[in-house]
Amino acid sequence: MAFLEISGITKHFGQGAGAAVDDFSLSVERGEFISFLGPSGCGKTTTLRVVAGFEQANAGSVHINGAEVSSVPANRRNVGMVFQAYALFPNMTVAENVGFGLRVAGQPAALMQARVAEMLELIRLPDYGRRYPHQLSGGQQQRVALARALAVQPQLLLLDEPLSALDAKIRIELRSEIRRIQQELKLTTIYVTHDQEEALSLSDRIVVMNLGRIEQVGTPFEIYNYPRTAFTASFVGHLNLLPVQVTDAATGACTFEGTALASSQPAPNKQAGSARLAIRPEELVLGGAGANRLSGRVLSVNFLGNVVRVRVRVGAVELSVDMFNERKLVLPAVDAQVVLSFPAHACWLMD
Amino acid sequence: MTKSRFNPWTWLWVTVATLYFFVPLWGTFDFSLRMKRGAITFLAYQKVFADPKFLQSFRYSATMGVITVIVSIMLFVPTTYWIHLKLPRLRPVVELLTLLPFIIPVIVLVFGLIRTFSRPPFRMTQTEFTTDILITAGYVILSMPFMFRAVDVGMRAIDVRTLTEAAQSLGAGWLRVLLSVILPNLRVAILSGSLITFATVVGELILADFLVRPALGPYMVVVGGGKAYEPAALGILSFGLTWICLGIIQLVSRGDVRLQPIGR
Repeated sequence: MAFLEISGITKHFGQGAGAAVDDFSLSVERGEFISFLGPSGCGKTTTLRVVAGFEQANAGSVHINGAEVSSVPANRRNVGMVFQAYALFPNMTVAENVGFGLRVAGQPAALMQARVAEMLELIRLPDYGRRYPHQLSGGQQQRVALARALAVQPQLLLLDEPLSALDAKIRIELRSEIRRIQQELKLTTIYVTHDQEEALSLSDRIVVMNLGRIEQVGTPFEIYNYPRTAFTASFVGHLNLLPVQVTDAATGACTFEGTALASSQPAPNKQAGSARLAIRPEELVLGGAGANRLSGRVLSVNFLGNVVRVRVRVGAVELSVDMFNERKLVLPAVDAQVVLSFPAHACWLMD
Repeated sequence: MTKSRFNPWTWLWVTVATLYFFVPLWGTFDFSLRMKRGAITFLAYQKVFADPKFLQSFRYSATMGVITVIVSIMLFVPTTYWIHLKLPRLRPVVELLTLLPFIIPVIVLVFGLIRTFSRPPFRMTQTEFTTDILITAGYVILSMPFMFRAVDVGMRAIDVRTLTEAAQSLGAGWLRVLLSVILPNLRVAILSGSLITFATVVGELILADFLVRPALGPYMVVVGGGKAYEPAALGILSFGLTWICLGIIQLVSRGDVRLQPIGR
């Protein structure tokens, strides 16, 4: 059995309401960093709260380190939790906040002080022990909340959208801090987020969720490059979809408005007929020598810094093309006729 | 902004309001000083303090006030906490319930109490002690709107649910959460609720009168019926007491922001 074993969790709030979480099962190995990724209302936070013990599941079980915890109250699970709203105790100093769990556990004062100092060192705020939460910035407060959760040496760390309330720059900084600390302590971690960039950059594995169900579980590389469902494909990263007619289901050959296109994978339902051909913007090339070629008219050119995004109208659809910025890049003119190409292995058919 | 500073209407209304509030107060104060013909003396105040019944009734009312405050805190803090945490949908209902003392006259309350609890099997009006229990219960109900509201507002100012969950995930049980996390962050709210409750009890007349307890309210009525200057002095005294209460709230809540911030 894996270190954290979630099996068949189902949760609905009130009768008649649809399931917030529907038959969720997942095995997490010790030391793994798992992200639950999905839009709001997809059940990711509810699942996390079931693991933490703040919600009772209607069905299913949770095993932590071999022990079934469904009937164990939240305060006996030894699970650290970090909240979006920081939730530092406003009446206590930073040191008192970090030491709270140890005080509850009845640890001797000397040990507590040493541990608090160690934790403040870990989050790189060693001199902030005597301050009150309201004297800290949002990013600092969240670091303290992280230290508070880690001080009791939890067997599991749960983070519920911990960076959502912070500025973009702090977010990226704290993101790598969280990863560093998690690696340092080899702590089994579940991280809930709706931000695909966070999930992709932090996780060992990502659980993509929608409408209470798991859409796909995989490494960031797998999730991004080989999305198995239409939802995963469109939620993680940007996706172009071409309505096509499948001509040969076995080889994945199809036509788009009369132009023959090749994909390297067979059609998912093994049948000819209408389907959608998916391709990432960064795998489309302006000009180029890919096997598949489409011609269209440039609608707009957006300079985004490291990337230039070009919108091109091809027949009835608009496609996004991303190009890496470089100084010698020649940007296409709006209304110019261009040819787009992409290799067969870059695209795949979806229902 | 600069325009409003020179607006004469502002000053007119401020002046009218000030006169409206302070002229009667000044009049009462002035009157209370004129017990001795042709001289300004504090004789009326001396007489008030010299009457042992004043001190007795004040001591009784103050004691009942303190007991009522303690009972109210023990009743309303956990209840409000539970409603915020587990039954947020019940909040409007409870809010309405706590408003009932404003709607139902005290006289109805006291007759209800007497009719129900002076008969068998309760017979609570037969001894002073059980009558005091009855009157405390009545005071708790009378001060319910103030206490509930104060605690409720205090709880809305902090994120009760998330703070509770944070403490729980760190191993704290219910009692620990309530005592170490929730209560300290409600200090100002509880204090202001307590002082208003205390003031309500000290000034209360009807309950004590009908249950025949030696409280300050009935005493003031008796004095007011038979004398001229002492009631004025008593009025000024009770006014002063209320102001001191409000001053303490102001002082503590301001000190709180500086010394023990609660994130406002």
